[in-house]
Amino acid sequence: MSLEVNDIHFSYGPIAALAGVSLTLEGGAVGLLGPNGAGKSTLLRILLGFLTPSKGEGRVLGYDIRTERALIRRSIGYMPEDDCFIVGMDAVSFTSYFGELSGMPREEAMKRAHEVLFYVGLGESRYRLLDTYSAGMKQRLKLAQALVHDPKLLFLDEPTSNLDPHGRQEILELIRDISSAKDIQVLVSSHILADIETLCADVVILNKGRVAAQGSLASLRAIDFSLFEVRVKGDEDLFRSEAEARGCRVDRTEDGILKIYMPADKDRMEIFRAAAAAGAQVRHFVKSRTSLEDLFARTVGVD
Amino acid sequence: MATIREKGYTHWDGTLRERRFPWWPITRTGILLTFRKKQFKFFFTFAFVPALAFLAGIYISERLEDFKFWFKGTEKFITINPAYFKTYFTGDFLLFMMVMILVFAGAGLISDDLKHNALQLYFARPLGKKDYLLGKASVVFFFILLLTLVPGVLFIVFKLIFSGSFRFLAEYPWLILSVIGYSALLTLFFACYTLLLSALSKNRRYVTILIFAVYLFSDILFGILFGIFRSPYVALFSLKGNLQQAGAMMFGQKPPFDYPAYLSFLVLAAICAVAAAVLWRRLRSVEEVR
Repeated sequence: MSLEVNDIHFSYGPIAALAGVSLTLEGGAVGLLGPNGAGKSTLLRILLGFLTPSKGEGRVLGYDIRTERALIRRSIGYMPEDDCFIVGMDAVSFTSYFGELSGMPREEAMKRAHEVLFYVGLGESRYRLLDTYSAGMKQRLKLAQALVHDPKLLFLDEPTSNLDPHGRQEILELIRDISSAKDIQVLVSSHILADIETLCADVVILNKGRVAAQGSLASLRAIDFSLFEVRVKGDEDLFRSEAEARGCRVDRTEDGILKIYMPADKDRMEIFRAAAAAGAQVRHFVKSRTSLEDLFARTVGVD
Repeated sequence: MATIREKGYTHWDGTLRERRFPWWPITRTGILLTFRKKQFKFFFTFAFVPALAFLAGIYISERLEDFKFWFKGTEKFITINPAYFKTYFTGDFLLFMMVMILVFAGAGLISDDLKHNALQLYFARPLGKKDYLLGKASVVFFFILLLTLVPGVLFIVFKLIFSGSFRFLAEYPWLILSVIGYSALLTLFFACYTLLLSALSKNRRYVTILIFAVYLFSDILFGILFGIFRSPYVALFSLKGNLQQAGAMMFGQKPPFDYPAYLSFLVLAAICAVAAAVLWRRLRSVEEVR
C-alpha cells in the first residue's frame, strides 16, 4: 500500500481545508481531482510533510506523515505546479543538485542527472542555462528533478499546465510510461480532466475538504449513475422539475441538450414518464458514456 | 525540442544516504554560482588589498632597518600589536568591501529562490528550514571568513615566521581569540543582515540596493543626528559604528565612541534576532500558504 491517510483534518486559521479525509491508494497512477479550494494542494502538502494535520494519521510508503517526514521526502518525487528553477544553473547542475539534496552521492547524482535529462527529452539542451528554457522545457526539467533520485512515488501537481497541445501530449506520454512501465506510483493532481482520464485508472475527487468519490474510473462510472442526453420540445422547466422529482439530476449544456444523471437503481423509462407528466415530447434520447467531466460535475455539483 | 525518451528510464541501484551536513550542497553551489558572476572576481580580489597591505606591514615591521628611509618618524604606525589588528578588522575600506561582496554573494541567496519558486523544491527534499538557512548563510560565512579570519590568522603566523620567535604570541596570548571572536561576530552579523534583506524581496536588484542603502544610510543618519545632538549614543544607529565599537572592545582598544560597547553588541544581536524571526516566518509562510 503506497499511501494511506485516515480522518485527516487541517485548517488555515478558522477555514477548514480538510475535514476528515481518508484515502487508501494502491499502485499505478491515481488522479486527484477537485475544484479550487477543495483541499488538493493541502493534502499534497500534508503528504509531503510540509504541513502537520491537526487530527488524523497517515502513512506514505509505510512512513508516518507526522514523525518520518524526512524519510517520506527522500522516497518520493515532487513536481510542483509553478515554474521552479535556480538562476545561473544549467539543467545538469540543477538536476544533480537536487539529487544530491535527496541523499545521492555527488558523482552518482551527476551521472543520474544526465540519464533522466535524456529520458525527459532534454539531453541536447542539458548544458543550456535554465533562464533560457521554454515553458515546455521547464516542465520537463521539473519532472527530471522529481525523478533523479529514482523515487518510488511521484506527486505531480498540474503536470501539463502552461503547455501547448504537442508539449502536453509529450508530457502525458512520459507520465504514462513512468506509471505503467517503470514501477513508479504516480499521484497526479490536475484540473485538466482529460489528462486524468488519459493517465489514471483510479481517481480521488475532493470537494470542500472531503473525499467526494474514490475508486476506479470504470467502477465509478458503472455503479454510481447512468447518463442520458435528452432534447425535449415543450415546457423544459417543467420537464426538469419532473425528472428531478424522480431522483435525477439535470444539467443543461450550452447547445440545449439536457444531461440527465440517473441513479443506478432507476429505470430509464422514468425520463419518458417525466416527459409525459410535463406534457413534453422527447425529440432526442441517447445513453451517453460518462466522461470524467460528467463524473466530476455530478460529484461536486458543478459543470 | 528533442524527441521524448531518447534513452529509456532505468532505475538507480544506489542507496540514498542521510547526510551529516545536509546543507553542504547548498553552500557549495552558492559559492560556485557566486564565482560565475561577472565582476565578482575583480571585487573579491580587490577586497584583499588591505590584507596584502597589512601583511606587507608585518614584514616591514621586522625589517625596519631596511625600510627606515620610507618610514622615518612613522614607525609607530607599523608596530604590530592588537591595535594593528583592530585597524585592519574595523577599517572602513574592508567593511565596505565586505558589503560589496555581500551584494554579489548574498543578495540573491533567498530572493532568487522566492522569485523562481525554488523553495518548494528544497523542502520536498529531506531538508529542514534550519538546513536551508544554514546552507545559505554558510555562503556568506565563507566569503566573510576569507576576508577576516584567514588574514587575521595569517597575520599572526607571518608575524611569528618573520620575527623567528614566539614572543609576539606570549605578549598577546588572547589576540588569536580576538581574531576568531571578531571574525565570528562580523560573519554572523553580515550573514543575518544579508539573509534578512534577501528574504524581504523577490527582486534581487531591490535587495542589492537595500544591502547598500541600509549600510550607508545608517552611517549618514548617524552623521546627521550627531550634527544635531552631539551625543555619541547616536552612533548606535550606524551599522558601521556598532561594528567598529564592538571591534575596538574585542581587541582591547579604546572605543571610537564614548558609550558602553555592550550597547553595540545589543544592537547587533537585536538585528540578528529580528533577522532570525523574519526568516523563520518568511520560510514558514512559503511552505504553508501558496
